[in-house]
Amino acid sequence: MIAGLMLAAHVATAQVAPPPPAPPRHVTLPEPAAKTLANGLRVIVVPKHDVPLASARLMVRSGSEQDPAALAGLASLTASLLTQGTKRRTAEQIARGVEALGGTLNATAGWDVSRVDVTVMSSKLEPALEFVADVVRNPTFRNDEVERLRAQAIDAVMVSLQEPLTLARLVASRLVYGGLPYGQSVNGTPQSLKRITRDRAAAFHERHYRPENAVLIIAGDVTPASAFAMAGKHFGSWKRRSGGVVKIELRSGGDPPEPRVVVVDMPDAGQAAVLVTRRGLRRVDPLYYAAIVTNSVLGGGYSARLNQEIRIKRGLSYGATSAFDLRREEGPFAAWTQTKNESASEVAGLIVEELNRLAESEIGEEELTPRKAVLTGGFARSLETTAGVVDRLAALALHGLPLDEIGKFGPGVQRVTSEAVRRFARAHLGGSTASIVIVGDARQFLEPLRKRFEEVEVIALEELDLDSAKLREAPPDP
Amino acid sequence: MNAIRAVSLLFIATLLAAAQPPTPSFPAIDFEHRVLENGLAVYSIEDHSTPTVAVQVWYRVGSKDDPEGRSGFAHLFEHMMFKSTRNMPSEMLDRLTEDVGGWNNASTYDDYTPYYEVVPSNYLESILWAEADRMGSLTVDEANFLSERDVVKEEFRYRVLAPPYGRLYYAIVKSAFEKHPYRRPGIGSIEELDAATIGEVRAFHATHYRPDNAVLIVAGDFDPARLRKWVDRYFGPIPRPEEEIPRVDVAEPPREEERRVVERVPNVPLPAVAMTWLAPPAAHPDAPALKIAAAILGRGESSRLFQSLVYRQKIAQEVDAAAELMQDLGLFAVLAIIGSGHTPEEGEKALRTEITRLQEKLVPGEELEKAKNLLITDMLRERETGHGKAFALGTAIMLEGDPSKVNRSLAALQAVTAADVQRVARKWLRDAKPVVLSYVAGGE
Repeated sequence: MIAGLMLAAHVATAQVAPPPPAPPRHVTLPEPAAKTLANGLRVIVVPKHDVPLASARLMVRSGSEQDPAALAGLASLTASLLTQGTKRRTAEQIARGVEALGGTLNATAGWDVSRVDVTVMSSKLEPALEFVADVVRNPTFRNDEVERLRAQAIDAVMVSLQEPLTLARLVASRLVYGGLPYGQSVNGTPQSLKRITRDRAAAFHERHYRPENAVLIIAGDVTPASAFAMAGKHFGSWKRRSGGVVKIELRSGGDPPEPRVVVVDMPDAGQAAVLVTRRGLRRVDPLYYAAIVTNSVLGGGYSARLNQEIRIKRGLSYGATSAFDLRREEGPFAAWTQTKNESASEVAGLIVEELNRLAESEIGEEELTPRKAVLTGGFARSLETTAGVVDRLAALALHGLPLDEIGKFGPGVQRVTSEAVRRFARAHLGGSTASIVIVGDARQFLEPLRKRFEEVEVIALEELDLDSAKLREAPPDP
Repeated sequence: MNAIRAVSLLFIATLLAAAQPPTPSFPAIDFEHRVLENGLAVYSIEDHSTPTVAVQVWYRVGSKDDPEGRSGFAHLFEHMMFKSTRNMPSEMLDRLTEDVGGWNNASTYDDYTPYYEVVPSNYLESILWAEADRMGSLTVDEANFLSERDVVKEEFRYRVLAPPYGRLYYAIVKSAFEKHPYRRPGIGSIEELDAATIGEVRAFHATHYRPDNAVLIVAGDFDPARLRKWVDRYFGPIPRPEEEIPRVDVAEPPREEERRVVERVPNVPLPAVAMTWLAPPAAHPDAPALKIAAAILGRGESSRLFQSLVYRQKIAQEVDAAAELMQDLGLFAVLAIIGSGHTPEEGEKALRTEITRLQEKLVPGEELEKAKNLLITDMLRERETGHGKAFALGTAIMLEGDPSKVNRSLAALQAVTAADVQRVARKWLRDAKPVVLSYVAGGE
């Protein structure tokens, strides 16, 4: 049945070039309308009428960075508990009611933010918002619900600690931030979760879930007038508290810890995770555009340098990536990949080489132009869905940036010059300022790794203590 | 990139089927259709709301067509389609998409393999040119073949070996099917990937990658007259081979008795239990009711399995239910990842209770509506983008053999009654025998 000759016949013909592009069309940008209710709640609405859907997010500007040192996972567990019972409804009634509308309430916390998201048919937006308001304003934190969710959270964390890359990220946070809030785990550890009580979650809610600390974003097949009316109806009577919102003061500045090379020995790892990390910058840093363009060259996307070197040229991985996690304070930069255990050392060397190459040598326009297109194209596509529009505006609102920034993304990216990339890379990526974490079967890569890097620390999986800023001590007292 | 199917816990959700006119409130996918002389079917969906265009070429070949002793080959081959062709050096597809702000990828399913791009609409012609070029010729050399095969082996480690439940999906299908090639892992194995040769890559292209085995779908911002001209210019000259296209023709025997399988694997922090039944193919009239049955059992925190196993009894950490209906036949599956301190036996007992309940009692009207609303919202969310619309259409063509189903799926869902759900639960889940898979730590 197999005829393989057609191909050979084609090979001999001379090559032709692809047809050139036609003139481009412009992207239509969303036009947000915003107002602040009397109780301080900011409401942002973006009409988008092509599909009868609507997405909404209620977020508070407090997240896992507000977790006390011994209680990592508090913001996250508090968010999960919102949907597990209110003054008016049981957990089952909430789930059944929202799912009957065709949506799901996703309540989560991360760095700098806790939020509830929902996407439904636009005809169901109003009842869906009523559920969002109920879970944000009236959660009861019943003891049995806290215990059930906590037990499940502990199991989930235990499972995730078997994933080499998840573990590498947690170790990396400690190396970069030590005992600072960003050094902890968003989801907590089995030990920290055990310490979280009903009262701790209720107190976190009381302190941070307040209208003056919150933003409601709605995008979809609605008019601003109707969306503002819904917001007023369900959130207007949410009481503002006296005094400001008290938060744990964040520090990520100052001298970062000395860079280290740390191996976590996981003998039955099916693959090794390799991660290179250091402190990055704040979301509001004026170098934002330089950072994202530089990252696009380095590791943001399929044809970026890391994936070129590690996957495309050498077949050492399914994919290699880098990113700046831009937060309220200086979030981390990381470059990472997974590779077979025996190539972990080679891959770590390749990542470090690429960081230095970017800092040391000029980048040509023929490379820079397409990497900018990756950013502007991805930005335009993210605005095609209601959930994507909410996400973009939420990121601006969270960091106090003006909403018209949405129209400045394209020009901001285009303005970054090749020289600006090199300057940025020299200051923020080059030199021996990064720490390296490898989680995998150490006996398969330790010897070459020790030849490549001077001081390699090895921590056996059983010795690893994520509750400790130093990764090996006893946990702090609650 | 070049993802093999995105498996969440069990399966991805697929579209639904049946035969009713569309409800007016639901935006229809308005498509044009024609067939070129060489057999290539062409569909287009015009939509100028954003200046982008999605291009997809779906080939009627998938993992079930992996040659004997070469499981994973169709997927390995899919990676090779990004290597050199007559007119393109390796990775040129990335130059034509990523470099101008677009993207590309491909996915190998059991029955078919779509290749897809989204680009600013002024680049449409170059994408049609490129897709036609790789349909007409593939000239990957030995060095590129070996390097990309290493990438696929890393993908195997990444998807199967490294994650705690990476082997679960493949353990389920292996235990569920006795004869049909759906039982083989679409990602392959290191040994069978190592056995593949570049000669086999060339032969696979010649056998399956031909215009009369493909469907081209273009969705988004294009001018219909220009599209027609470009499609004729670039795809028209590709010859239709004389040879017949080989098709998998393996009948899966009905299950004679209930079977129990224990799979011992390393890196399993919490055991899992899955029950599967053989189900009808995607085009079967019972498909919509089975999809709704799966949603009632496993979709969301108000679902029956979640409420029983996770919420009330606290036996499970996670639950799922799926009607994974493919071209030749399907699977109905329920799954529980067991919580600390509990056993797979407890999980199995609770799963069986919920299956029996579905067979014995009519689903209340509200619960039925809830399942429908969840599935309809999924469909709307898929249709927000040109790529999503094209994907919905391609799936209907490939899985159900009928493009018009893309606009009838909503009405088919709406038409399902509580009695239908009970009937299909009895027919497919009671009168047939389950396979019970326990997935526990150990082995290797």
